Amino acid sequence: MTAWRREITGDVAAFERIMSQCERRVLRVALRLLNNPQDAQDAAQEVFLRLYKHLGRLDQTRGYEPWLYGVTVNVCRDIGRARRRSVALADVPDPVSAQPDAYHHAERAQQREFIRRGLSCLGEKERAALVLRDVEGLSTEEVAGILGTSENTVRSQISTARLKLRDFTGRMTKKR
Amino acid sequence: MTCSKLETDIALYAGGDLPCGRIARVEAHLAECADCRALAQELRALQSALRDEPLEDALLAQVHQRVMAQLGGAGFSLRGALAPLLALAAAVILAAVLLWPRHHSGAGSQPAAASHAAQAEVGRGAAAPHGAAPLARKVHHRLRRAPAAQPGPPLLVQFVTDNPDIVVYWLIDQKPQGD
Repeated sequence: MTAWRREITGDVAAFERIMSQCERRVLRVALRLLNNPQDAQDAAQEVFLRLYKHLGRLDQTRGYEPWLYGVTVNVCRDIGRARRRSVALADVPDPVSAQPDAYHHAERAQQREFIRRGLSCLGEKERAALVLRDVEGLSTEEVAGILGTSENTVRSQISTARLKLRDFTGRMTKKR
Repeated sequence: MTCSKLETDIALYAGGDLPCGRIARVEAHLAECADCRALAQELRALQSALRDEPLEDALLAQVHQRVMAQLGGAGFSLRGALAPLLALAAAVILAAVLLWPRHHSGAGSQPAAASHAAQAEVGRGAAAPHGAAPLARKVHHRLRRAPAAQPGPPLLVQFVTDNPDIVVYWLIDQKPQGD
């Protein structure tokens, strides 16, 4: 009996195994889309409760990943809209340091911060397409299926998002 | 072809998303334009930086715990408490329905008719109560009638719910017929 089937018959332990396989991906996407750890945790929790509720009704031949990514994007969109609050971003770390390793570490941390900020400047759809394609490494076809749009639209969204993000990080780097 | 017109294609090319028919044109341009080569390189670096986001295990563990805590709570309320209560309620209603005709009509003097009546009532009784209906999947009952004027064995009603761990048995004493 597969983990899916066991879960459908009420085996919470089997569901937990399924969750363990994909929770990292869900939280990573939620973090990238919401740019706030608390919101991302809330989103991931909601996604898994929905997965538990709907698992018996999912098309097992397609696997649960497309559904999971789709729900994650939708839940993050709803949370993001509902909590239109100013995102409390951590202070950009100061790269000043005498140690080359520390300098490199701080530089990477700074770049991550620029990317986080840049992502939050993108439109919802551009951000979702970029995260699914460039962070999760899904194909444009898969992204189009998850977002319910065409591959051409996805290409347009990710190219725009990449260029916007590059412009943003470029401007931030010059500022400093 | 100017650089600005090719920017979109370069952004796709850097990520490996450019359709085959447009790759040659972009590569030809990159071969002769240092600025666009730099752009393509920046975009590739950005792409790998996008994946370079550490995920704290503590965040992950908290989500895991919260989900499991919610499911544990839900499992208890549904399986541990609600289902037996619903089954008991259904059994009480079932018994009331079964006993009712015996006190209000003379149908008890005809065992076959009583059996059919009871069977029909059992069906209705299992479906009627709100809340108990989803649990009631099937009802088995055995009616054993003793010869008239002798107290027979008790009437046994077996009530099976969706939960295989919950089976409700109902024993009903039968009075001798013809009293």
